[in-house]
Amino acid sequence: MITRSRIAAAFAAATLIALTGCGANAGAANTAADDFPKKGKSIDLVVAFASGGAVDTAARLIQPILEKELGTNVEVINKPGAGGQIGYTQLTSAKPDGYTIAATGSPSVVVSPLDPARGAKYTRDSFQPLGRQVIDPAVIAVQPDSPYQTLKDLLEAAKADPKSMTASTTGLQTGEHFAMAQIQEATGAEFAPVHFSEGASQATTAFLGKHVDILVANVSDVTDLTKQGKARVLGVMTAERSPSLPDVPTFKESGYEVEAGTVRGYSAPAGLPDAVAKKLEAAIQKAIEDPSVVQKMNDLGLQTSYLTGEDYKQFWAGQEEDFKKVLPLVQKTD
Amino acid sequence: MDTLNELMGGFAAAMTWQNLLFAFLGCLLGTIIGVLPGIGPVAGVALLIPLTMNLDATGAIIMLCAIFYGTAYGGTITSVLLNTPGEAASAITTIDGYAMTKVGKAGAALTIAAVGSFVGGTIATIGLVAAAKPLGELGLLVGPPEFFALMVVGISLLVALAGKSMVKAVISGALGLLIAMVGIDPVAGAPRFTFGMDRLLDGVSFVAVIVGVFGLSELLSHRKETATPTVHAPNMRALLPTGKEWRRSAPAMARGTGIGFGLGLIPGMTGSVSSLLAYGAEKKFSRHRSQLGKGAIEGVAGPETANNAHANAALIPLFTLGIPASPTIAVLMGAFLQQGLTPGPTLFTEHSEIAWAIIASLFIGNLLLLVLNVPLVGLWTSILRVPSTILTPLILLFMVIGAYTINFSVFDVFVMIGFGLLGLALRHLDIPLAPMVLTLVLGPLMERSLRESLEISQGDFGIFTSRPISAVLIGLGILIVFSPLLKFRKPKALNEDPET
Amino acid sequence: MTTESLITKPESAIRVAPSVLVGIGAFAAVGVYVLVGSVELNLWTSLGPGPGLFPFAMGAVLVAMAVLWLVQELRRPSETAEGVDRGLVVAVVLSLTILAALMDLLGFQLSMFLFLMYHLRLRGRRSWVSSLITALAGSVGAFYAFNYGLNVTLPVSAFPLLNMIGL
Repeated sequence: MITRSRIAAAFAAATLIALTGCGANAGAANTAADDFPKKGKSIDLVVAFASGGAVDTAARLIQPILEKELGTNVEVINKPGAGGQIGYTQLTSAKPDGYTIAATGSPSVVVSPLDPARGAKYTRDSFQPLGRQVIDPAVIAVQPDSPYQTLKDLLEAAKADPKSMTASTTGLQTGEHFAMAQIQEATGAEFAPVHFSEGASQATTAFLGKHVDILVANVSDVTDLTKQGKARVLGVMTAERSPSLPDVPTFKESGYEVEAGTVRGYSAPAGLPDAVAKKLEAAIQKAIEDPSVVQKMNDLGLQTSYLTGEDYKQFWAGQEEDFKKVLPLVQKTD
Repeated sequence: MDTLNELMGGFAAAMTWQNLLFAFLGCLLGTIIGVLPGIGPVAGVALLIPLTMNLDATGAIIMLCAIFYGTAYGGTITSVLLNTPGEAASAITTIDGYAMTKVGKAGAALTIAAVGSFVGGTIATIGLVAAAKPLGELGLLVGPPEFFALMVVGISLLVALAGKSMVKAVISGALGLLIAMVGIDPVAGAPRFTFGMDRLLDGVSFVAVIVGVFGLSELLSHRKETATPTVHAPNMRALLPTGKEWRRSAPAMARGTGIGFGLGLIPGMTGSVSSLLAYGAEKKFSRHRSQLGKGAIEGVAGPETANNAHANAALIPLFTLGIPASPTIAVLMGAFLQQGLTPGPTLFTEHSEIAWAIIASLFIGNLLLLVLNVPLVGLWTSILRVPSTILTPLILLFMVIGAYTINFSVFDVFVMIGFGLLGLALRHLDIPLAPMVLTLVLGPLMERSLRESLEISQGDFGIFTSRPISAVLIGLGILIVFSPLLKFRKPKALNEDPET
Repeated sequence: MTTESLITKPESAIRVAPSVLVGIGAFAAVGVYVLVGSVELNLWTSLGPGPGLFPFAMGAVLVAMAVLWLVQELRRPSETAEGVDRGLVVAVVLSLTILAALMDLLGFQLSMFLFLMYHLRLRGRRSWVSSLITALAGSVGAFYAFNYGLNVTLPVSAFPLLNMIGL
């Protein structure tokens, strides 16, 4: 009995010391913000999609400038899977100390916490947006030898024979999936979605190998393919034609009211110390607006449209409202 | 011509001093793993993955590849000097290698083994260069159904070849797939089998599982602590073989290269089969076959060349098809995946620079291995003199550090301990571990391609048989598993192969 | 004849080693658990193949193989593998578990030092000097080598007192 109570006392003491220890550490974290980032400690930039896609490319473009601005290593880490959810989970479960940031793209990051079936461990409040980089409109493309020459041809055919053609997405409830659902809603044309949940590079590879008939993607994914004659883009889902695809009509021009796309930026886990957030935000702005980066993004078909962290946050909230309305289109019904 | 240009580009990338250093370190660490008795190549490579996590993809993979073929040579040293093979593939070398040591010719045996390894490894790498382009171009033909079928073939080969009982091999494979499924579903996002633990959302750490199942369980299954062997380093002058020994080795090396290269291409064949068959070939064809078993140089040259040719040839299916041919390669593939590189046909289209840099580094590494190992024999023998009472705690130390540094969390150390116990249980039940490693790595890819295939076909499983390439592959897989022919012809060595 | 068959039958069932039976039972149980779990996860949804499809197949394979194995064992029991050195297993697993549990609390250096001392001095019966040198190199030495050489930070103690003296 005596020994037991002694052990209990020792344990309580240990816990107390441990707790005060934690308190001391937490105090240290606040002052640590001033010397962020520590020399030699690298920052992980999580990309929630496989390498080779537009998200990955953009992250790798800003990486050298971030390194210069922050004075430490920035490592791009690909965490693909579940249409971005695996990478976002990694980000939001990381310590909010600034050493883990991620590329966040909507709708995937906005929508994944909205559908209870996905069991996401994060909500919008788990993120601290640091800056928006681009808006990448959605497009629809067919094989170069496809009989369909215009958007109308294609959509009429898909309407006449629903699900007769397969179309790629970068995962369940990602931008492409929404675009497809919106097309179906607006025009009645139904495709059979195939979800390449690792990202755009897998979807494109499957399209090039003719394993899927239709490529639903973003402007940046098809800019090169169009130049090489490997895909025929039939429509862009924006109000105005994309500068990188000047010959491709918009959906609106073809008589369909569909607008969709992917919006990408960078975020940290919520709870970042203010000083750290400021430093990161400034570095990210520098990197995104760097003329060489903007030029390279242009070459890829990506129009830079920077928003500050605060504005990106507002934008994010607006997107959440918008997507809540269309979410049922891409949710399972049974 | 194109290939040559790209290879030259690869050499340029591999020749930076950092990458040369990584190749050098890899060779060194690999040889140590090969020499150390307590730790096999599978756990050894897995253990060193966390160390490479901070490197860029090229450097990390260069180092891990060097570790991989370093182990293929390291095992030779103990075979020759101690009569105990450091790893299974070198077991046969003990016969003539140790016989040579007894008559004071250890140095010559080790040198011939090193040269043979270099020849075999280099020729196999040339084969990889030649195969890369044509097979890489087939890449686009491989859609999700074909990819799935390819993996079915790989796994069925391993199941058919590994261990005595196919039932047990399948159990092992299914366990690996189930472990791989813990975490967020890679398609729909739902958490699976996480038991409510947030820690498990990202899945069970592959490194911790491998280190536990292969490394820790190996240590736990030791029955008694063996006395430290007395070894003597051969003196430097004895390292040079005589002209006669060179002449006798040359044909043996040629045969060994052929055998190792051919078998290395087949998933499921381990290096031990190659070295055994190479020894058999010497027994049949060597002019000095009567001396085999009594310290004939051919008995070292043939198997050792075959062993390294095999190890390097086994990288061909990995690079071109994304199919790991052995458990060690499966671990290597896991490292590729963690670096964001998916081995297979798309590797050469999406990451051609990295791929060629790695291939170039294989040439460099094989050369390094040759230059390094012969003069360093003294160092290896001194490692062998470390008593197991010191070695075992130190290996445990490295396992703990390795597991901890994956995510900088003690959780993975517990995972490693748990899987060490599981590995021990599997060993006790005589369940082969190799299929488990393979499916652990391939599991997510397999599931994804299955689901993508079914989305393409909208639920029709017929897609696997209606497309010609996948139909042939699936047929092949079924044939492999059910063909009684293969069962009877299965090399006996496979059953005793600790690597499987 | 009848007596003979009566005698041999139970005997052959008994001959299956208990550890093998436990193993088969465990695999079957895991298989059933997975089957149930994967049905809950949905095998098929309106969106296509669901999260449960692949695990379901694996659960089924596991159960089927467990049954097959049992049949094989009943027909011809396999030789059981040699036993393990229980002392070794318990010592290593227990010490590792304690090490892992204490690492965040005491820090890497102190907990690893104690762990190594246990294995070197108590289990390995090495001399005090040799044990101390090896244990110090493996704990304090490894900590600094990893921290400064490889930029890999190993845990420090959660106790401020220990923390202050660099542990």
